[in-house]
Amino acid sequence: MFRRGDKVEVFKKSNDEGWQSYMDEFVGFHGIITDPDTAINDPDALVEVSLVDKGTHRFPQDCIRLLKE
Amino acid sequence: MSVLTCPVNSTIVKLEEIINSDQLKDPKCRRIAEELLELLDDIAWGRAGDKHVPAILSLSKELMDQGPGKVCKETGAFVHIALIEHEEVFISHVQTHNCTSGACIKLAPAPCQMACPAGIDVPAYVTLIGMGHDAEAIEVIRKDNPFPWVCGLVCTRPCEFMCVRGRIDTPVSIKFLKAFASERALSDRQYRNPEKMPDKNKKVAIIGAGPAGMTAAYYLALMGYTVRIIEALPMAGGMMMVGIPRYRLPREVIDREAALIEELGVEFCFNTRFGKDVTFKQLKSEGFEAFLFAIGAHESFALNIPGEKKYPQVINAIDLLRNVALGDRRSPGNKVVVIGGGNVAIDAARTCIRLGSEEVTIAYRRTHSEMPADVEEVEQAEEEDIRMSFLTVPVEVVGKDKKVTALACLRAKLVTKKGSNRKFPVPIEGSDFLIEADAVIAAIGQKVDPKSIKELSGLKWTRRSTIDVDRACMETSMEGVFSAGDAVLGPATVVEAIGGGKKAAEAIDRYLSDIPQPKLPPVPHRRGKIDFIEVPASTKMSLKKPEMPLLNYNRRRVTFQQVELGYSENVAREEARRCLRCDICRRCGECVDVCRDKMKINALKLGYLDFDHPVKTDFRDTADLCIACGACAENCPNDAMQIKDVGKERILALCGTILNRLKLEYCEMCGTVLGPAKYHDYISKRIGNIAKVADGRILCVACSRKSTAKQHDEEIIPII
Repeated sequence: MFRRGDKVEVFKKSNDEGWQSYMDEFVGFHGIITDPDTAINDPDALVEVSLVDKGTHRFPQDCIRLLKE
Repeated sequence: MSVLTCPVNSTIVKLEEIINSDQLKDPKCRRIAEELLELLDDIAWGRAGDKHVPAILSLSKELMDQGPGKVCKETGAFVHIALIEHEEVFISHVQTHNCTSGACIKLAPAPCQMACPAGIDVPAYVTLIGMGHDAEAIEVIRKDNPFPWVCGLVCTRPCEFMCVRGRIDTPVSIKFLKAFASERALSDRQYRNPEKMPDKNKKVAIIGAGPAGMTAAYYLALMGYTVRIIEALPMAGGMMMVGIPRYRLPREVIDREAALIEELGVEFCFNTRFGKDVTFKQLKSEGFEAFLFAIGAHESFALNIPGEKKYPQVINAIDLLRNVALGDRRSPGNKVVVIGGGNVAIDAARTCIRLGSEEVTIAYRRTHSEMPADVEEVEQAEEEDIRMSFLTVPVEVVGKDKKVTALACLRAKLVTKKGSNRKFPVPIEGSDFLIEADAVIAAIGQKVDPKSIKELSGLKWTRRSTIDVDRACMETSMEGVFSAGDAVLGPATVVEAIGGGKKAAEAIDRYLSDIPQPKLPPVPHRRGKIDFIEVPASTKMSLKKPEMPLLNYNRRRVTFQQVELGYSENVAREEARRCLRCDICRRCGECVDVCRDKMKINALKLGYLDFDHPVKTDFRDTADLCIACGACAENCPNDAMQIKDVGKERILALCGTILNRLKLEYCEMCGTVLGPAKYHDYISKRIGNIAKVADGRILCVACSRKSTAKQHDEEIIPII
């Protein structure tokens, strides 16, 4: 489960329909969770991530992972 | 081609100059030039598709061949020739999203601006607030977001999470500064709309007067389109109005900012339900050429537990918040249980307290730390005496004589399932218990209600029951139909809806102008390079993020008055001075490298430069070792680090933060500035022999040499 402020990495492409083709170039980028699913901790929800130099986007959760501090 | 120049960048610069110089008098010629600039910008920012280069070729040829007038023809020819001569560079920009010269990323926005879904130029407006120019700050914000006041109160502030200052201590309070400046500018009657472009005589219909719909309406109206908004509710605001309680976002805030949109000529049709009072077919027959569906996500998920449908006292949070927003002030019950752990659950619970409920309990199936609601909201709810029942799974609504008497629940434990690192709540058998209640409120999420737009049979939906769009341009599967906001993302944030509305407005303009859509979402625009505010390093480090003053506890429990009272003027101005100006300092680290590796001084310990592994930063430490040689400033690619002699001092500053200030020394013979003593010592050590000759005097190199020569002259060589 992701929390606001978690540092994450987009580590792979997702097959989920929420993955947009322009996101292909974001693989490997790091960022911060800025808005997780704020309703029901739904593992299927798209979560908002601010990527370094790449802006803020909603990603499926299966393509992002927590970065160890 | 030189690696320092980029034909894409230089074409943009020259074309911008021509457009801004007002030389293009013919409206059609000017429009084509602006379209060309937009397409070139796409290429420069790596968001162009395959059709961009052919479109530029065709538009520039049109201008070149048809003019009218010499300047128009020359403008067309200059763009056309640039493209023909450097076609491979333009195509490479499109295909690789990369500019080898670096020119196209030099003006890349700051992390806070990049993070903002609306793309607001945060450093520019924060600096303006620091300077006391609130109205100008609002002007900057409204170039990207027509709701600065709303966002100043309810934004989820992704910008603050990316704020580089947060790597030193705490992020700048960007959100609260925005609210401060909005209130000031409105109070001073300086909050005004920009000039509209001439009428385009094209009509756009927007369904939904929420943040996405109104944002699109604002930008489309400014572009000269005729805009009509169809809204089922009796007022503007959508979820901002009926989903966010008044103690967080007063109605006047929405009304004032919506009124400014209406002032641009946008027609609001309230109490008008799309699909019932007006249809797609009717609007098309009235001449509307493009449509934006920003209908929000107003339908609640059901609890799916026994008793839910049996009792009228079981309601959903969104209905409660809507009814209260529309004026209903009746309490749902004395003992209320709210089910859920998100922001809506917190809003519903705090609303019930204000309506007079004696006891309000939030039942949540996980623990406090897993609550998805904002930490501040949870804290404020707890302060208002809202009870929390964690690890609680509702199983049945219990009642008697058509009245709810309790919520039957099971205790849960969090269990990690195989193959997953998530913890799931699992009910514990035999742990049944009752929470006494006379009303139960479900706040477990919302979804889009597709019924109102069933007429649009060609519309593609996602498996999450949201409207399927290309999120680079918000285009749906139907031609001329766009969508934005919660209808696309599911229940998301106000600022995302605003960003989506702005994106949709740009895409609708392209659609109606017959120019291709971008393949990537827009990269935010820099809105100006504002001067630095000078702040001593000690002040920069000692300024701390101020606490937001809150309404007193008792008043919070009985009224809907705004809880956050806002910053005072002094506090706001000081807070703005904490900004590091990352729009200018790109954190490349050149200054640190040259100081440490070339000069061997290592005075710059800027630990915040690295995103992944920031270490301690103290701007005050620089003065201990710095000799004010200026090597850092000389090597700074963006003029963030500056060194200058002011009066009798040499000052080194990073984006206005004064890192070092040393007294200057002058040559005793010629009066030339030698630099500070530390610097002079450093140089003296390097030119030891010459320095010796100076004999304790402070001399420049030239005078030292002269002095050496004189000494040699005075040594008489004996004649043999």
